[in-house]
Amino acid sequence: MNALEQIFGTVNIGLVIMDKELKVTHWNRWMFLHSGIAAEQIVGSSIFDHFPDLNSPKFTRNCKAVLAFGNFSFFSQKLHHFLFPFKPVGSFGAKFEHMQQSCTMGPLRGDDNSVNSIFVIVQDVTELAVYEQKLMEMNVRDGLTGIYNRRHFESRLKEECERHRRYNRKLSMIMFDIDFFKKVNDTYGHQCGDHVLKGVSSGIASIIRKTDCLARYGGEEFCCLLPETELGPATMLAERFRAHVMEMILLYQETEVRVTISLGVSEFQEDDSPEMLLKRADNALYDAKRTGRNKVVAL
Amino acid sequence: MTAQMTSDAISISDEEKEILQEIMNIAFGKAAADLAEVISIFVRLSVPEIAMVQVIDLPAYLRSEVSCCEPISIIEQNFWGEFKGSAFLVFKSGAEKELISLLDSGGEASFESESLEILERETLMEVGNILIGACVGKVAELLKDVVTYSPPRVIIEDNPDHAIPESLLDPSLTAIILKTVFCFHERDVNGLLFLVTSQESVAWLKNALFEFMEQYECA
Repeated sequence: MNALEQIFGTVNIGLVIMDKELKVTHWNRWMFLHSGIAAEQIVGSSIFDHFPDLNSPKFTRNCKAVLAFGNFSFFSQKLHHFLFPFKPVGSFGAKFEHMQQSCTMGPLRGDDNSVNSIFVIVQDVTELAVYEQKLMEMNVRDGLTGIYNRRHFESRLKEECERHRRYNRKLSMIMFDIDFFKKVNDTYGHQCGDHVLKGVSSGIASIIRKTDCLARYGGEEFCCLLPETELGPATMLAERFRAHVMEMILLYQETEVRVTISLGVSEFQEDDSPEMLLKRADNALYDAKRTGRNKVVAL
Repeated sequence: MTAQMTSDAISISDEEKEILQEIMNIAFGKAAADLAEVISIFVRLSVPEIAMVQVIDLPAYLRSEVSCCEPISIIEQNFWGEFKGSAFLVFKSGAEKELISLLDSGGEASFESESLEILERETLMEVGNILIGACVGKVAELLKDVVTYSPPRVIIEDNPDHAIPESLLDPSLTAIILKTVFCFHERDVNGLLFLVTSQESVAWLKNALFEFMEQYECA
């Protein structure tokens, strides 16, 4: 074996070479290790015999472009996730069913410079993809409660207002906070306060739609954005929130803690800005607080 | 050796310019024909224009060229061979939505977890990769050169100043710009393709042009 063949065999990336008919001519050990298909089994047969899912317009189009133009083609993990359906290595199975791959395809030329085969390089980027996913999650979620954070809420609010304006869709918002939350902290301690915040947010999260966006807006203040919803149904939903929280018994170290919430509801009006929608919900919430708490006010 | 080149070394005669233009014309014609035949992408490329610009003035040049259709999306890809430089494909923003239907994804379109934004970006990159590869590849082929490419990069913003890779072109040099307008058949999408090659390629280019003409003169 010459030096290049040894490298081809031992390098920690997948290497495949195919001829013009897309029959495999080279299959390195990395590919064997992850596919379970030995070089002897696959060399000489069409790549599609072993990987029928590769026979997609995108893959064949790129193969043709490589053969006809000497192009390089890039299959990013972001869009394609993988070319070859391999199992993820290590403990990433919980996050991804398949090894995440970044693949490059390019031409190999003969002595006369004409393209006579295609190489494919397969890189395992599962670990990176997992980290990226984690970072993305951390970027949009509130660390304590697990619901969306204020940053994500504000960008969603902007998007939804934009959508409302363009397509004339309905959009409402509920803003609420926990009544006498300071008392909870002072009486039972901050750990208990945290426990209450978690309990209230997961309770509310369990009764909203997938398309609604529930976020922790401030300390004990929450916002819920309701796309495709008018003020009437939004107010009814707010009433459900209120009743749901009122009935909740939050057990903290064998102590039963009960809280109530006050809520303000607003609907997006023509020529509104995201700030105006937010401001009206905030004003409504203030009214609810001022006029007795544990109630819903719609503006 | 390139750094020592004086600015008159760049000067390409009118005749050479004409030959280059002719080569581009043939290359782009072949590229368009192959794109249609091989992957059913039907594109029309205009007769290319050739301009010489100081590398340092490139951003300003690009800005003035694309000012008509801002905001824009730029796909940038570098190529290396004897013929080396950067290719810029410029679309009006929003073209990516139209381009998605250009590429038959054959039911692959169920990228549930993917945002449309990623899909559009990837579409821009694939279209860019294919178009740039076909055009650059054919020019190289005519001039008996072999090129390799960097992965394409999408620059979605209206400021082309950042589009020029600083490392690739020496700002003290002159760039040769080959500009062509392209449009897809039966689709309301058009754009500009710029091939920017540096002075470093000029000596080789002159020689390749000479050899290219020679084969006709001998015939």
